Amino acid sequence: MEFRAILIALERGRVDYVVVGGVAAVLQGVPVNTFDLDVVHSRDPGNLTRLAAVLRALEACYREHLPKRIEPLERDLALPGHHLPMTRLGPLDVLGTIFGAKGYAQLVDHAPRVDLNDGLVVRLLELADLVAIKRLLNRDKDRAQLHEYERELELRNAMETRDGR
Amino acid sequence: MEPEADRPHDLARESSPDYAPDGVDLTLIRWMLSLTPSERLQVLQDHVNAVEKSRANRAPWSSAQS
Repeated sequence: MEFRAILIALERGRVDYVVVGGVAAVLQGVPVNTFDLDVVHSRDPGNLTRLAAVLRALEACYREHLPKRIEPLERDLALPGHHLPMTRLGPLDVLGTIFGAKGYAQLVDHAPRVDLNDGLVVRLLELADLVAIKRLLNRDKDRAQLHEYERELELRNAMETRDGR
Repeated sequence: MEPEADRPHDLARESSPDYAPDGVDLTLIRWMLSLTPSERLQVLQDHVNAVEKSRANRAPWSSAQS
């Protein structure tokens, strides 16, 4: 799994997306592990073309059909569902929408840019929104991590209050 | 007196506890917050690499038992 390399591929391909899920949480300071990268992509036609090109370059094919190789197609990426391909750099979950049918257009205003050095800048869904989604989903896997998310948010808010930010 | 469980915990204070009441290790969160986002990504990458290396090195008998 190569998180940075996948993000670089998306950036170089000029794909509009928001990082959500575990990687977004880690980048904001939550000490959890994850083994895939989740992104919500813009479903504007031009972006779908760019995303499909990046996925082809990454040799993406749906994990659920392996070892049969079925590639995500541009028309499929226009749908609001979840696409779970394996790429040559690791698992990349490409999500048309997330909980509450929120797509890129609804999320992007809650997704500040974060500098990952060397010219790599990505948008992440705010931790408060990740917490809200986990509370609503209320699955076992979400409940298992929710305490870490909540304590991190609480601690960060307390530090910002203390520092007058 | 306010019950312990109902008190807001001041996690940012200097003498803050190592663990939250729900068992979360606050020292890990403080450490992660001390890093830059790029460093946090590297921490995650190092964890994943370690797990993948461990899986690759796993003896055949252990995978049969798991």
